[in-house]
Amino acid sequence: MAATGAAILEARDLGLRFGAVEALKDVSVRFAAGHVHAMIGPNGAGKSSLLNCLSGFYHPWTGAIMFEGRDISALRPPDRARIGIGRTFQGIQTYPSMTARENILTGFHAMMKGGVFSGLFRTPATVRQEEAFTARAEEIIDFLELEEDRHRVVGDMSYGLRKRVDLGRALALQPKVLVMDEPMAGMSPEEKGDLARFTLDIRDRYGIPVILVEHDMDVVMDISDRVTVLEFGRVIAEGTPDQIRGNDRVIAAYLGDGATGGEAA
Amino acid sequence: MRPTGIWFSSYAAEARILETRRARAWLGLLSAGLVCLPLLTGPWLLGEMTNLFITMIAVCGLYVTVGMAGQINIAQSAFVGVGAFTAAKLSGLGAPIWAVIPAAALITGAVSVLFALPAARVKGFYLALTTLAAQVMFPIVILALPMSWLGGLVGLPVSPPSLFGIGLGTPSGLYFLGLAFAVLAVWTTYNLPRSRVGRAFRAVHDNDSVAGVMGIPVTRIKIAAFFAGALYAGVAGAILAYLLQFVTVSSFTLFASVWYLGMLIVGGLHSPLGPVLGVIFVTLVQEGLHSAGNAILQSGSGLGGGEVFAASSVVLGLCILAALIFEPRGLAHLWTQTMTAFRLWPFPRN
Repeated sequence: MAATGAAILEARDLGLRFGAVEALKDVSVRFAAGHVHAMIGPNGAGKSSLLNCLSGFYHPWTGAIMFEGRDISALRPPDRARIGIGRTFQGIQTYPSMTARENILTGFHAMMKGGVFSGLFRTPATVRQEEAFTARAEEIIDFLELEEDRHRVVGDMSYGLRKRVDLGRALALQPKVLVMDEPMAGMSPEEKGDLARFTLDIRDRYGIPVILVEHDMDVVMDISDRVTVLEFGRVIAEGTPDQIRGNDRVIAAYLGDGATGGEAA
Repeated sequence: MRPTGIWFSSYAAEARILETRRARAWLGLLSAGLVCLPLLTGPWLLGEMTNLFITMIAVCGLYVTVGMAGQINIAQSAFVGVGAFTAAKLSGLGAPIWAVIPAAALITGAVSVLFALPAARVKGFYLALTTLAAQVMFPIVILALPMSWLGGLVGLPVSPPSLFGIGLGTPSGLYFLGLAFAVLAVWTTYNLPRSRVGRAFRAVHDNDSVAGVMGIPVTRIKIAAFFAGALYAGVAGAILAYLLQFVTVSSFTLFASVWYLGMLIVGGLHSPLGPVLGVIFVTLVQEGLHSAGNAILQSGSGLGGGEVFAASSVVLGLCILAALIFEPRGLAHLWTQTMTAFRLWPFPRN
């Protein structure tokens, strides 16, 4: 793991257009190792566009995405997952017909071996491999406190639990950086508290830096090491949560021009 | 749901198909019954059972492609045909049965990949149409090939199978051949969901766009799902060839493909138990109606064969409709529900 503070993922001068809409303009953000880095901004500010550029769904018109010092702008999403950019999704994107443990096991796909025939005949090598990876999946289950639900079909689970399974699957890929798209949306306060705790543990115990887009300002200010604020496709402020809280441009962006004082929430 | 007091000390034990000693005892009893059947009954029932085994093998393959991977396939009967013609040709060339059946499986798998290549790029109705094309092309291609290759319109004779000098061409020999491969088919169908590739099939079924991002090669997995399903079809075709002793294109119709799908849906798309129960249920209803129809015809009620045939088709349709209305998730789901209720009794199932 790189030393805390060194950039692991970096967006350089990104520009992206949809027709006449300029979604991103000259956006440069450095995501440092060892940090929880939040991106906030009003609706339409370009947060999700930036996220999708990072994970490869959008191709920026100008600029580059650098990962561990290497230009990865041309890589497709599956390849970015393979080199270590894990992500969780907005809403529910787990595999509903599979159990929690099976969902997590799918994350190990690239690390496991064996094709159709070893699967059909359940060779001794398959059995050994299944045991080894089940044990690894159980570590994630243990970490995310999913023990009670390991054999439950994900389609029958509550929203908060499904998001946890989604996170577990992303962790199974052993990412070097984890990108989370609105992880708290639609959760109850208890579920938000749990997820905030897991996010910090991922940073501290696994040493994986986290990049998140989030609307819940309390959570963002609580758990982030750095916050980047976007408005109309541009970066208008970046700093620690305390710096952002007192930033006049941020307050103006959230409360409208002319408003002074108050909290950026 | 498991009965109380069942616990495991290793992940391999937890992954066993039969978890309890009681379940293993029941299976042992069932196997003993099936092995002793040829001693107790005549060639008619043995023939029916062999047919049932062959259908079960084909529908297990369909479960892999359609149920697990979600790739609709209405050409399973054509793939069974490919297996049957391969077996007929190879046995005609003097190949022994232990070589014919694996070869039929692999060649059918290879043929299915040809059709899966375009199919992996389309979804839903379009995929259904692509596989329909495979079904329609099958007889056209066989008939267009030179007579000396696959027999054209006439078809191909199949030399009777034998293993280590023991003739398997008898009704009981074919019955054991079918039974052995049906057991293999069901066992492998239970194995697949507990493996890397099986989980990838189901991930592609559930959410292929996310599966791609999470490191699963979606196109390759879709093609593998067709390949795996066609292996079963090839085995089913080879055994069917030995049973029929003569293969013609007219045995492998779109109608049969739709029946295979129907059996799978009635049995349940989401459990390896689905193909087993679906094939047994539909075959029982079909045969029950068949003998009821014969009884009516011979009772002198004045009803003609046409009317009885039409009526039995309507009743068969109604039975399938009823199964789907009362248990849309299939008989396999009904089975799990019943077992859960039985284990919880006298407490209600929530």
